[in-house]
Amino acid sequence: MKNETFSKVEHAFATLIRHRTWVVLAVALLTAVMGYLASHVEVKTVFSDLLPKNHPYVAVNQQFKSTFGGSNMVSIMIEVKEGDIFKPSVLAKVQKITVGLQQVDSVDTYQIISIASKKIKEVRASTEGVESRPIMWPELPKGPAEMAVLKEAVLNNPLIYGPYVSMDLKATLITADFLDGDINYSKAFEQIMGLVKEADGDGVMVRVVGEPVLYGWVNYYLDETIQIFFAAIASLVIILMLITRTWHGTVLPLLAGVISAIWALGAAKLMGFHLDPLVIVVAFLITAQAISNSVQLISRYDDEIAHGATTSAAAAVASAKNLFKPSMLAIVADAGCVLVVALTPIPMLEKISYIGTVWIFSIFVSALIMTPVMLSFFKPGQGFVHPLNIRPVLETILRACAGVVTTRLRYVVLAITGVVFVVSGWYAFNLKVGDANPGSPILWPDSSYNQDASDINRQFQGSDRMFVVVAGKEKGALREPEVLQSMANFQRYMEAQPEVGGSISLADILPQVRRVLREGNPMYAELGNDAGENSELTYMFVSGSDPGDMDRYADADAKNGAVTLFFRDHQGETIRTAVARVQDYVAQNPIEKADYLLAGGLVGVLAAVNEVILAGQIEAIALALLVLVVCCTVTYRSTVAGVFFMIPVMLSNTITFSYMAWQGIGMNINTLPVVALGIGLGVDYTFYIVDGIREELHHNPNVERAIVKALSSAGRGVLVTALTLITSVGLWSFSSLRLQADMGLLIALWLFISAFSALFIMPAIVYVFRPAFIVGSKQRPIERAEEPAVVV
Amino acid sequence: MLHQLKRFGSGARAAVNVVTSTLPIAIIGGLLYAGFFVKAEAVINKVEPKAVERRDNFFSVTAPSEQIAWAAGTGGKIVRSDDGGKTWHRQVAPTYENLQGIAAWDAQHAVVAGNHGVILYTADGGSSWKAGQVPKSDNPNKLFRVHIFDGVAWAVGEFGSLLRSEDKGVTWTRAMEEKDRAWNDIYFRGQNGWLVGEFGTVMRTTDGGATWTENELENKVSLMGVDFRDDQNGVAVGLTGTLLVTSDGGASWREVPRLTREHLLDIAWDENRWVAVGDKGVMVTSDAAASEWKLGRISEGDVSWRTQIARAGNRYYVSGANLGVLEGGKLTIVGR
Repeated sequence: MKNETFSKVEHAFATLIRHRTWVVLAVALLTAVMGYLASHVEVKTVFSDLLPKNHPYVAVNQQFKSTFGGSNMVSIMIEVKEGDIFKPSVLAKVQKITVGLQQVDSVDTYQIISIASKKIKEVRASTEGVESRPIMWPELPKGPAEMAVLKEAVLNNPLIYGPYVSMDLKATLITADFLDGDINYSKAFEQIMGLVKEADGDGVMVRVVGEPVLYGWVNYYLDETIQIFFAAIASLVIILMLITRTWHGTVLPLLAGVISAIWALGAAKLMGFHLDPLVIVVAFLITAQAISNSVQLISRYDDEIAHGATTSAAAAVASAKNLFKPSMLAIVADAGCVLVVALTPIPMLEKISYIGTVWIFSIFVSALIMTPVMLSFFKPGQGFVHPLNIRPVLETILRACAGVVTTRLRYVVLAITGVVFVVSGWYAFNLKVGDANPGSPILWPDSSYNQDASDINRQFQGSDRMFVVVAGKEKGALREPEVLQSMANFQRYMEAQPEVGGSISLADILPQVRRVLREGNPMYAELGNDAGENSELTYMFVSGSDPGDMDRYADADAKNGAVTLFFRDHQGETIRTAVARVQDYVAQNPIEKADYLLAGGLVGVLAAVNEVILAGQIEAIALALLVLVVCCTVTYRSTVAGVFFMIPVMLSNTITFSYMAWQGIGMNINTLPVVALGIGLGVDYTFYIVDGIREELHHNPNVERAIVKALSSAGRGVLVTALTLITSVGLWSFSSLRLQADMGLLIALWLFISAFSALFIMPAIVYVFRPAFIVGSKQRPIERAEEPAVVV
Repeated sequence: MLHQLKRFGSGARAAVNVVTSTLPIAIIGGLLYAGFFVKAEAVINKVEPKAVERRDNFFSVTAPSEQIAWAAGTGGKIVRSDDGGKTWHRQVAPTYENLQGIAAWDAQHAVVAGNHGVILYTADGGSSWKAGQVPKSDNPNKLFRVHIFDGVAWAVGEFGSLLRSEDKGVTWTRAMEEKDRAWNDIYFRGQNGWLVGEFGTVMRTTDGGATWTENELENKVSLMGVDFRDDQNGVAVGLTGTLLVTSDGGASWREVPRLTREHLLDIAWDENRWVAVGDKGVMVTSDAAASEWKLGRISEGDVSWRTQIARAGNRYYVSGANLGVLEGGKLTIVGR
């Protein structure tokens, strides 16, 4: 910084400290107001927030979800340990859950399907012609004879036997759709689990999966999440206390974190946003930034006191003045990187991005202003709070850093860095978009939800659905043999993919009806010969049923229909392969009278999310890097600076991506914000070190000495924050939510690499390459500092 | 390091300057370009469909030798096994119609028949299937089964379709006038032949199929299959468990009391006993005299419908809702 700017900043802080009571009061008042607002922020998951805006699949899902089944489906499996399900006690449970689901909040009462519902019916020929009637509604079978009839009806119907009753007859499925409008996941979850618990036992096992249940579990663990959050904060305090051994070193960083959090949450309320429990780790990450800024200021303050600053206020001003530039740079660069996430057109990411940006900017007040102001209240030279002194350990580490830079070891470090960068950069390409494992990546593989999911997928065709709309060009298109045959061929084509457990459409139903009409001769289990015959068959199936029963397959005009595909998992790769295959099929087998529209249901929506993230990840990373480069270039008026600061970021990126690829953590809607935030985060420590070096050079032109000194002052701040944060972030690994544990670990890794590169790699690079923006050049030499700074 | 370059003079320094000033611009440009124009391309896994897919129904199966078997079914699917049913491979047929019948002369020559009058033949073991010349009329021309007797192929179908081919499936001619009655199965022993179909009809010929006479029967239930173990003794099966037995070459038929209400769709004499298969996995068997009939299942727990059973050595192939191989009482479903 130019001396002129220095004095302006100094003057500003001096003024602030002179009016410190007013400053504190103003901030306190604002915090109180924000606190009131923040206490009203809702913590919940809104499914529609996950859906990309303006994506064609999402448009199809929104248009057709009420008829063909949306993405909020719950599947409940009732499995017997012995024998088969055809026992009165078991069927009674099926009926009880089916009826009980009607009462659950936000359930779509027209989309509850089980063998005990009115929806599952059979078509049979009788003396009065052909009739279609529910197989087990409203009454359960009475006596063995009726039970045998039911069993036969199930076995004889491929629409039931397979999709709703397992091939070994040991399990049956109940599915229910939920309206996504204002579903309260916790409430629905409680009610569903109540039904499940009631039915479980007596030789019957009940399994339940589906997005509403998944989010129910997430909410269920909310208390634990909050506990971990506070435990992490507590551990922060303890470690800070341990290392700094002073009250101001402990309380002020915490204060910075708390003020920032309150302001951010209050702002979220003002913007009308809510907080998703899954991104609480992101909140912690930003809090960590606030704390880190504050710790730097305090560490510098302590140095000033140690070097003989006369008053606390003078030391505070000196600290603020000297760290103003790297702190501002860190805040602006971080905020820019987080703001870039908003470009990904998913409402949840946009909201996180806006909240995060406000949060980071609030650090300006909570740490940059409040920490020096508050520091001025403390008396200098107070004794230590406890006798345990860790400082020698820190000094040893920092001396080791200096040792690396000043000896030939620096070349070794640089060489290793180069190799690690290349190898991890290559391996990072294995990073997958979308979920990388079966089951839900949010929960641990051994969680009861994921166990249930794997049990259901073992017995049935798959619990995750995607529907592809067959949109006829005019009414009656779905009765045309050409269209129906194309649908049947399409299903066959899609089922070749092993993860597709099965599929269902109108093209499966009509042959069953036709077979019944033809004396039950399976050689006639085919589509009708012409539109007229197909129309008759449809009529046979619909007659006697409620209006809307057919909607699952086709609308009343036979204009739009759906092919529903059942997936055994929703891994990114499974979904991408399926979507590509749909497109391949449509391209190779065009039909005149209808179009295939992708895609609805959970898998359809996830396909859209994954596509957006796949397209957006390069954009997000490239633009975040660009923000960083531009910030640094402008700040240091040097393009070389931009490139220089990319080094630690690229390194932490490639290593973290490699770690994600190695651990099977996919790049998805939950991990993307952490990744983008990490780009800003990865560079902050380097800012402090580099600025420290530059500042030393103001006083002394010896580069080596400047590096060593910077490492011992700014380096200590980096070390303290890194140690504190890595330890407390580690607490997240105890979370029952795998996502949070993974993210915690990821962040810890990120912090470690950033700290490591700031302490070992970057100083070595400065030493070896002597970039002009740090060490100066003949054309633009480093401005010498004026003698002793003005003291207030 | 850079200061060491001074030794090389101003030229080197200029070069370094050029690099350090252009590299950042190149990187920023690259990032801008990547941010706005580079879109990640997903790598898509290739999926190879299996020879036998879950969705497949097989309406017919034939075994020209002990190791070779052929099956035909939905969507123009033809599969063949050369190792006694252990592995199957798909053969490409130029049709998407459901194929209802398959028959083979030998390992090289075979014929399939199906919906809309589709008949395909092969002369190279199935490497290529070609369309035969088939007379068609304005009804759906649905053909059910095709059988070969003394080198002559016979196909039966809806609306009284009875077609024959003497050139291994290349050309076909009508052997009977059409009428509104479906023929479901045919069997020949020398010049004697029997034809069964809708409404419980049985027709008989004694001149190799030139003229046919109808038997007067009480049974009005559609008959689905017919087979003879010699010139005199034969059995016909039909819907809702119908079983008819003759011991006078088809002149008269007596009804066996029904053992099941399930449809029986095929009957075969396997040199030891009579075997009939049908809906929901039922299997009805009897001794040679066709007097002691027993109801059983193809395999316990298997409830698939079966349209045909074919024997090869001590192994049976069953077609239907799926394709199965029955060996030593153990049923293996192909593709599961």
